[in-house]
Amino acid sequence: MIHEPLPLLPRTAAIADAAGSAPPRRDFLDELEAGQLANDFDFATPEELLAWALGRWHPRLAICTSFQAEGMALFDMAWRIDPAVRLFTVDTGRLPQETYEIMEQVRERYGTVIEVHLPDAARLARLTTRFGPNLFRRSVEARLLCCSVRKVEPVRGALDSLDAWVTGLRRDQWASRANIRKIEIDHDHGGLAKISPLADWTAGEVWDYNRDHDVPVHPLYARGYTSIGCAPCTRPTGDGEDPRAGRWWWEKNAPKECGIHCPLETGGLEHDLEAMLPGGKG
Amino acid sequence: MPKAPEIEPDWELVRKRNFVERLKHEKGGLEVIHDLPAMIAAGYEAVPEADMVRLQWYGLYHDKPKLGHFMMRVKVPGGRLTPHGLRTIGEIAQRHGRGHGELTTRQNLQLHWLEMARLPEVLATLEAAGLTTAGACGDNVRNITGCPVAGLDRDEAFDCRELVREAAGFFLRHREYSDLPRKHKITISACAHQCNAPEMHCIALLGTRRDGLPGFGVKVGGGLSSWPRLADDLGVFVPAAEAIEVLRAILDVWREDRRYRLSRARARLKFMVDDLGPRRFRERVEERLGRALADGAAPAAPADEYDHAGVHAQRQPGLAYAGFPVYLGLMNGEQMVRLADLAAEVSGWGGRQGSPEVEIRLTRRQNFILANLPAERVPAVVERVAAIGFPLAAGNLRRLAIACTGNPFCNYTVAETKGRLQQIVAHLESAFGEQAAALGELRLNLDGCPHACAHHWIGDIGLQGTTLRERGEAGERLQGYDLFLRGGLAGGAAIGQPVLRRVPGEVVHLAIERLCRAWLEGRQNGERIQQFFIRHSDDQLVDVAGVPAEVLTR
Repeated sequence: MIHEPLPLLPRTAAIADAAGSAPPRRDFLDELEAGQLANDFDFATPEELLAWALGRWHPRLAICTSFQAEGMALFDMAWRIDPAVRLFTVDTGRLPQETYEIMEQVRERYGTVIEVHLPDAARLARLTTRFGPNLFRRSVEARLLCCSVRKVEPVRGALDSLDAWVTGLRRDQWASRANIRKIEIDHDHGGLAKISPLADWTAGEVWDYNRDHDVPVHPLYARGYTSIGCAPCTRPTGDGEDPRAGRWWWEKNAPKECGIHCPLETGGLEHDLEAMLPGGKG
Repeated sequence: MPKAPEIEPDWELVRKRNFVERLKHEKGGLEVIHDLPAMIAAGYEAVPEADMVRLQWYGLYHDKPKLGHFMMRVKVPGGRLTPHGLRTIGEIAQRHGRGHGELTTRQNLQLHWLEMARLPEVLATLEAAGLTTAGACGDNVRNITGCPVAGLDRDEAFDCRELVREAAGFFLRHREYSDLPRKHKITISACAHQCNAPEMHCIALLGTRRDGLPGFGVKVGGGLSSWPRLADDLGVFVPAAEAIEVLRAILDVWREDRRYRLSRARARLKFMVDDLGPRRFRERVEERLGRALADGAAPAAPADEYDHAGVHAQRQPGLAYAGFPVYLGLMNGEQMVRLADLAAEVSGWGGRQGSPEVEIRLTRRQNFILANLPAERVPAVVERVAAIGFPLAAGNLRRLAIACTGNPFCNYTVAETKGRLQQIVAHLESAFGEQAAALGELRLNLDGCPHACAHHWIGDIGLQGTTLRERGEAGERLQGYDLFLRGGLAGGAAIGQPVLRRVPGEVVHLAIERLCRAWLEGRQNGERIQQFFIRHSDDQLVDVAGVPAEVLTR
């Protein structure tokens, strides 16, 4: 059938493969398959699910981590299955020194190349020139803008070349996160698969695993942090204090999101961005 | 493949694995109402997320962004509203909800923008009008749906309005049935057209008669969301008088099996029915009931779907009902109040002594029906309803197209829903012009996420929002839609298939137009569009839609 071409809007292609090779072969789940797999794997151990996902997608699968306990446990498990497993992180430019220390530890201990994604230099320059380096203290909107340029966009960039990513989301991190499935299509990020092998684990089980396997632990946990993020935007929380007090504690009228784990992995941060900053861009 | 645990877990393990089971154990969802004054005093910021989840037991969800506004879902059992009930909801929308209102695909009414501090007053106002939000969300028996013309239609097997009312009352705030593994959806109807979608409910009672005795066939285990499944016939006949007892037994079998409480990803009845099969599930129900059920069969599905639109004579002499399209399912507070006033006024018109009050009945395609109209004065009523914003002759497309709540309210949606649907419908209307009638009863079902509130799995053309791999010129994320074809209900009951994936939002209306044109030009023997899609391969349909292959991700 011959058609007039459809009037597609101009767009930027997803970036080329890290290896710079030919247009990548894609292996995306469709909604029916994802639903079936999520059901089949709901009782799988994290290792069983990781082994399957690595078999299907490696090297187009990567673990996303900010070096919190969950991401480290997942990486350790996956590395034992396949030492070539890919690990990526975002260096927002405002990370605490302790995060760089654990990055070095991971490089040494596992011999793994950590793929580091950075904010776009021009966009970051524009942002800080216009609003100053500490714009996140000005308003919720400014903070979201900062999160967007420094974190959301680099993560999107990292996901462009992937068919699947692994997150440390757990159902008991946040009451309204209890329904997540271990295999989902990530409709917030172009439809790649999102794998959450620790979905049904408790925090205690993650820490037990890390202790039993001598997994490197981010040094800030020992200083009372419950959430590891950018240095100026995270702080230790006291016993019994709401973990949300550990992030953006000065904000009034910020969207109510989980304070422990980055709402980026759930899409929540991007939904807030689009709702509060129409267009969602800086 | 790892299997579900053979041994039933104890409560300790259930609560360890499942946050919401833990949360319900600490304090039941229904109990949260007693804490509302303290929550209001503390302020939205200070309310723990666990209590936000518990508020679902009263039909309340965070709106987006989570800054202290709520969506509120009002249950309308069987879709039946009195003028007073509708006026009450409309006034709440006007006073506390910025006027916004929407009809849902399960005969509920939803408002937005409610503030926590207003909730005690709002809930009390609803209760005083005989309405409730209790059990509208959360792990409850949700609104019990049914045929919107129950008791009026000439073709129904019998009138089961009383049973719908009784069942809704029985499960309302019932302690044991307010702690189900997850949401639970029941539909009860004796509609000859099976207009209430029994195929996609957890439990459907399908009215029929045996030797003149009213009763039900039973279907179980249907549902959509991210794991769509059509319900199975349990193969029984249940006399109407035993219906509640059997509903309870099914729910007991379900809620007492802790295997399905380990994970909320599998905590829907459809998973249990799928694991056991209908025969073994029936045995479990009979065991729980302590007796065998009579063999039987659910009444056969009619050839096509039906929604009672337009004007029809009622069973009651001299009365008629009229089904009006509500474009995009949007009915604002002012329209609710005006419609309620009109219904009350018509109820008082001369010559209607002894006739029942005019009712507003909500349908699952987000439309409404005015019931008990004086037959000879229907044209006058139709004119008045048109003036409120609901012309009877709005056209099939507007009548049948549905979209979920989506933007700007829903925290889950990744794409425009009602706004996009409006654009698609407007485009088809202008592209087909006079020919639009040839599209017949084309059902467009558009969702913003996989939860499938607008049932994209079973539309003629189902759309589910997603994002594209590519980005816009300024780096912004671009919306796209997966197109689901070959799905349907009734005689064409089937789960749709994602044939076109990630069709860019700015051209999705054009792709749909091309699919429709190809069908109109190539149809055989007047087939429905579903048949046309079934007859053609995925590749053929992608070609027909004209979206370049490099743009689609299939």
